[in-house]
Amino acid sequence: MSFLKFILKNPFRRKTSAILAIVGIAIGIIVIVALGGITDGLVNTFEDTIHAGGADFQISGKETGDSAYGTNTIDASWTDKIANVTGVEEAYPIYVVLTSVGDDYMNTLIGIDPEGANLADISMKDGRMFKDGENEAILGEIYADDNGYEVGDNIKIDGEDFEIVGIYESGDSNMAGGVFTSISKVGELQDDTDSISNIYVKVEKGVDAQEVADRIDAKYGDDIATITSVMEMEQMATMLDMLQASTWAISLLAIVVGGLGIINTMLMSVFERTREIGVLKAVGWSNKKILTMIVGESLVITIVSAIVGSLIGFLGCTLLGPQMGIEPLFTAKIFIQAFTIAIVVGIIGGLYPAIKAVKLPPTEALRYE
Amino acid sequence: MNAVEIKDLYKSYENGRIKALNGINLTIKDGEFVSIIGPSGSGKSTLLNMLGALDVPDSGSISVAGEDLKSSKNLNEFRGEKIGFIFQLHNLIPNISVRENVEIPMFTQGMSSKEMKNRALKLLDDVGLKDKADILPNKLSGGERQRVAIARALANDPSIILADEPTGSLDSKTSSKILKQLIDLHEDKNVTLIIVTHDMDVAKLADRVVEVLDGEIISAGDDSLINSKIDV
Repeated sequence: MSFLKFILKNPFRRKTSAILAIVGIAIGIIVIVALGGITDGLVNTFEDTIHAGGADFQISGKETGDSAYGTNTIDASWTDKIANVTGVEEAYPIYVVLTSVGDDYMNTLIGIDPEGANLADISMKDGRMFKDGENEAILGEIYADDNGYEVGDNIKIDGEDFEIVGIYESGDSNMAGGVFTSISKVGELQDDTDSISNIYVKVEKGVDAQEVADRIDAKYGDDIATITSVMEMEQMATMLDMLQASTWAISLLAIVVGGLGIINTMLMSVFERTREIGVLKAVGWSNKKILTMIVGESLVITIVSAIVGSLIGFLGCTLLGPQMGIEPLFTAKIFIQAFTIAIVVGIIGGLYPAIKAVKLPPTEALRYE
Repeated sequence: MNAVEIKDLYKSYENGRIKALNGINLTIKDGEFVSIIGPSGSGKSTLLNMLGALDVPDSGSISVAGEDLKSSKNLNEFRGEKIGFIFQLHNLIPNISVRENVEIPMFTQGMSSKEMKNRALKLLDDVGLKDKADILPNKLSGGERQRVAIARALANDPSIILADEPTGSLDSKTSSKILKQLIDLHEDKNVTLIIVTHDMDVAKLADRVVEVLDGEIISAGDDSLINSKIDV
């Protein structure tokens, strides 16, 4: 039998010890993988939540100041410029005009690309989104209630007939009292397709919105202004920092708990082989050869345990997590971390008692009970 | 040539409180069969451990198979090449097969897997256990285990066999078988055989009986002056 084959076979000859060692180490790995998945899932859910709302901030013309729905316009070409700024995921223009809507001589009509309507922080209560370029509109629920409109009715906007295809909700009362249609239709009504009022900007996931806003200000601040809710963004950033710090603490705890379990298992399994190490020394094995064997066996047992622990941790969290309202997120990083810890800690846990054992005179190792 | 040359060997434990060897002088010739006898705690096993480089002396000189064990840096290598051990409790590794137990010392000799297997099977055949090569040691009787230990001791063709109470845990019939195998081995291969025992019947089979008491040799079984302090 070759030495390599001997090392590969050896850990599994003592079936009970091997099972106990694998269980002991796998528990450590399960803790690391499961807590890693849960905490990463938490951070991801939080980021999704703060990211899921409307735009992170808006762009307006310099002269419109803080008035998000000012009727001053900027050139439509700004949309592409803003979309190309690093960290920007989406940029959609809106065109806000005051025009005759239904029986009102003057009301707010907001034009937006239907694809970007989610950035306006509205959600459909009834019906569907309007189509681009069609004479279709959606009404804010306040406006619809006040004026007795329902989905399927027609409404006159700037003298043209529009079909009401949906009713939307919004936390913003101004929004809920308004009317949306496609931006191309508003441009057509205004006979001006080169102007827009504002740009809704959504930043990439995980990117600090304030940083992107500052970047835009630094680059184009002479011509346009960014409108951000500073308080909200700072609060979100603080909460995200706290959540990430908590997940680090939990991960560290998982590593310590899992690592100690692995070390303990390896210590026990090698200490109980002290007598065997004495026999190997008596028949002429060098200390180096014995340590190579122990490290090799530790590697075999920890890798098997890491596979078992990762599978159980992954499957357990994936199957049970959703039932407990947890959406775990498993990235390669978690498994790399678990395997690295298992191997490093497993080798250290195996090497330490092995070094102690090989340093013993063979006569003492042979007497070990 | 001498297989063993020991001069003024001292060994104590527990900060000198227990004097295990107290000025040992001993010479054993190549191919000689020597038994070392003495009561429990007399130092005979310590002496055997010194001969096998399993323990190191406090002072004195000890040369075994031409190797100065006091200054040697390669005691593991020395044990692997020159010494074959047979322990009272056989010390087989319980979770590997009988054949693998015999192969264990061969890992130090750079042999191929096939060579190791063939040699182990030949040695097991010599001790009548070839048919039990693939089973675990705990499936064997005490005598069979000791025969496996003999096969293992011969794995690297040693020039010296050291046996510590090899029949100590066996019944008389099995003991006779084991002793016969050891003596055959000594005669056929001209191996130096050193047995530690407290059984006089076993000791008498040797060419020479060395008697140890309180860490001193009180009789070397020849005409040499062993220790000036003895009062036999």
